Amino acid sequence: MAEERIGVYVCNCGTNIGKIVDVPAVAQAAMEIPGVAVARSYKYMCSNPGQEMIAKDITENKLTRIVVASCSPRMHEGTFRAAIKRAGLNPYLLEMANIREQCSWIHDDPVDATEKAKALVHAAVQRVKFNEPLESRSAPMCPSTLVLGGGVTGLTAALELADAGQQVYLVEKQDHLGGNVARLDLTAPYLDSAQDILRNWISRVERHPFIRIFLNSELTELKGFNGNFKPRLRTEDGESLELDAGSVLVCTGFKEFDASRIAQYGYGRLPDVITSFELEAMLRAGKLQTKSGKQPRYVSIIHCVGSRSKEFHRYCSRVCCTAGLKYAFEVKSAIPSAHVSNLYSDMESFGKGCEDFYRKASEARTSFVMFAKNQLPSIREASALDGCGMLITVKEQLSGEEIEMPADLVVLMVSMEPREDASLIARLVNISCDKDGWFIESHPKLDPVATTTDGVYIAGACQFPRDIPESVTQGRAAVARILAKVAQGKITVDAVYSEVQDKLCSGCRTCFSLCPYGAVEYDAEKHLSHIISAVCKACGCCAAGCPAGAIKVRHYTDEQIYGQIEGVL
Amino acid sequence: MAVRANPDLIDELQQFGARDAVKCYQCGNCSAACAHSEDPYVFPRKSMHYLQMGLEKPLRSALDPWLCYYCGKCSEQCPRGAEPGETMMGIRRWLTAEYDFTGISRLLYRSWRTELITVLTVALLTGIGFLSFGFLGGGGNLSVYDGPGAFLPAHDIHIFDWTMGIILALLLSINCVRMWQFTMRNEHSAPVSFSLYARYLLLLPLHFFTQKRFRKCENKTPWANHLVLMLSYLTMLILIMVFLKQMQSGPKVNWYVHVFGYASAIGLVGTASFAVWGRLKKDAAYHRHSHESDWMFLGLLLFVAVTGIIQHVLHRAGFPMAANITYVVHLMGVVPMLGLEVPFSKWSHLAYRPLAVYFAQLQQAAQAERALPLGGSAKPQPAA
Repeated sequence: MAEERIGVYVCNCGTNIGKIVDVPAVAQAAMEIPGVAVARSYKYMCSNPGQEMIAKDITENKLTRIVVASCSPRMHEGTFRAAIKRAGLNPYLLEMANIREQCSWIHDDPVDATEKAKALVHAAVQRVKFNEPLESRSAPMCPSTLVLGGGVTGLTAALELADAGQQVYLVEKQDHLGGNVARLDLTAPYLDSAQDILRNWISRVERHPFIRIFLNSELTELKGFNGNFKPRLRTEDGESLELDAGSVLVCTGFKEFDASRIAQYGYGRLPDVITSFELEAMLRAGKLQTKSGKQPRYVSIIHCVGSRSKEFHRYCSRVCCTAGLKYAFEVKSAIPSAHVSNLYSDMESFGKGCEDFYRKASEARTSFVMFAKNQLPSIREASALDGCGMLITVKEQLSGEEIEMPADLVVLMVSMEPREDASLIARLVNISCDKDGWFIESHPKLDPVATTTDGVYIAGACQFPRDIPESVTQGRAAVARILAKVAQGKITVDAVYSEVQDKLCSGCRTCFSLCPYGAVEYDAEKHLSHIISAVCKACGCCAAGCPAGAIKVRHYTDEQIYGQIEGVL
Repeated sequence: MAVRANPDLIDELQQFGARDAVKCYQCGNCSAACAHSEDPYVFPRKSMHYLQMGLEKPLRSALDPWLCYYCGKCSEQCPRGAEPGETMMGIRRWLTAEYDFTGISRLLYRSWRTELITVLTVALLTGIGFLSFGFLGGGGNLSVYDGPGAFLPAHDIHIFDWTMGIILALLLSINCVRMWQFTMRNEHSAPVSFSLYARYLLLLPLHFFTQKRFRKCENKTPWANHLVLMLSYLTMLILIMVFLKQMQSGPKVNWYVHVFGYASAIGLVGTASFAVWGRLKKDAAYHRHSHESDWMFLGLLLFVAVTGIIQHVLHRAGFPMAANITYVVHLMGVVPMLGLEVPFSKWSHLAYRPLAVYFAQLQQAAQAERALPLGGSAKPQPAA
């Protein structure tokens, strides 16, 4: 250890660090630490001259370890690892001391901040002495993809993958393709037929040589890891079938809210209170009428049924406002003399062409009646004298009046919610659900179709309420991610992962239950646990939990951590 | 108590000229732009909304439409082209029909054909009536215009004027009582004590004669035009009702009658022509839309003013027969104009508007009185 030659580089980060921390003093103090051969400060260490300075020192001063005291490693660890790799050092022989986020940005006192920065640098120096050179490895990448769900998202993704020449296994729970879009009549805002949109795709999917469709089938098990999954299906014939797939794309969609949960709307009790999907069926059949077969004179559309509510779903289902306007428009087209009203608490007809659609619907003489979220309208049967089938009582917000509105047909814009089997699928493919039950993406902005499990992607309305263009876009985005991996031909496995030392493992399987990524395998024959390095994220839960101390996390060894702790004290 | 919505209301109002109210999405820009809109009389927004919701009863009991003078600021500001100013105008027409107990107003407003036929019929009957009277009961000689033996003796016409005036005032008064019932005697209005009615009574002549609220509108031209029109008309009315003998006399010139007569004739023709020109040019928001009743009103006004002037000129120039014939033609305009417009159409607002200002003030005073603890003195806000 005595022969290690450590270089310490302290960054000013413009004035971000330098205005609070005495950067030259930190560098000077570092020179005092045994093992430190070079310590320098610079304005921007991450700049090209800064990186070159480090590289030059590595060659000229024969440095063996590097400490960079600057920003968070999340920001520039990759930059500096690459820099020292270019200079011939193993990238894992780098250690960063975060003297910006954890020091200059949060402290006011320059003296104390400088002392803290010195301590952080000291800790990094003590740690880096124990760092070991590590090499990342690669594993083969199976080019075929398992697509779960044959809705509009799954169809798009399957076609896109297959057109790129890759094998797709398209698994659909129902006996037909098309998902929820197959239940629609026209699509907003351009009033294209949903059936026309789907027909073309479905026939292409059915004829595509690279797509194998499994109808009435379900995923029962997913073994393996990124690039090398082994999905098991229960097929139509009740057979159990194992496939090979490098990637898994989950696009299982949504289901609609059960409108009978809101008692005052009378769904299920009043025959002419129907859901939006039931109206779609009526429109498709071209039979817009009440249960008794009469043409409705008053049609009311109630928005946010189950959405934006404290009791049911707080989120907005996003597509129903525009869909409701579409109904207003369609009803007026079918029955020009009908009175159509939209009862809403919020109206948000977002998206391309949809704002114009709002205007069009309002100019088609539909009225907009606003109610408060905590004062939902209620519907009751009308008497023979009322001249209508039902009466809706609503406390109208803008006039402050309690209004009684005639209605013959009431359409409930039911919210979108996660399918009842969403949590089961999440468990099978090892992804997480948010508090509402939607699948969670890896990063809401920068990585919206990936998940925390490498090789498993999500797209469409299984992730959150989405309209058709968004679902299609997401399906294609996921395909881009998958094809990029397929093009590489192999997957890179990070050098940082946990390892079980077989000699010390007693096979208690504590680690198995602790691992959040499902990376632990158990060898029942040898009574030993084994960690799949490609799945492991090196969180360290297993190592901390192992009663025998048999698990070692590469790059986070006990020596390294103790060194860091002693260094900071 | 829930208010029953009438979804047909907005369609009904369309016939009264409120065409674009459907476009409104309740942003409230109109009320923000309006100099008069003040709690609780937040218009045009509130009225627009009542209309959209089909709240017939609240709309019928609203004073708001009468507190609007249609300067057009709201329509200029409307981001949706919903023409709130014209909607308010349409609501006023509808309210006029609602107040009218005879139902004639509704017939006239909803169909221009009915209106035209009614006006022509009344004009024809007036012509026949006066000719018959002139030949049978009057002077009998068409070539005598003034003095003893005049074809239409001033004394008899005077009686006719007063009879008609009283009948019209009676009809309008009944409609005013209905307005009072709708606007002051509903579940939302505060009870107003007799002393309050008395205390604010002077507001009626004040607003009738000065129209000072109209001046609050940002755009002053309509106010000036309206005031000149109203004062000219009033002057003419007083001349006819009180000084008819002096007008229909000769050859001596009665100067004070003539000066007022000329001034008001110029005022009437000038302002009416200005309005016609504006409505044809459509450059101001308040002139962009014209209901058939607007044209009828302006047409009759101009007709009456011009025939009046011709009659006067012919009389002074020494053509008594022509003057007499023009006199009958003039009356054929006057009778339908006053007979139909005052109780049943546009001119009724001469009563409804000051009344609305008065009622609104009373409501505010009554609300303030009610809000104060016992012994406190009510200090109502000045008229909105």
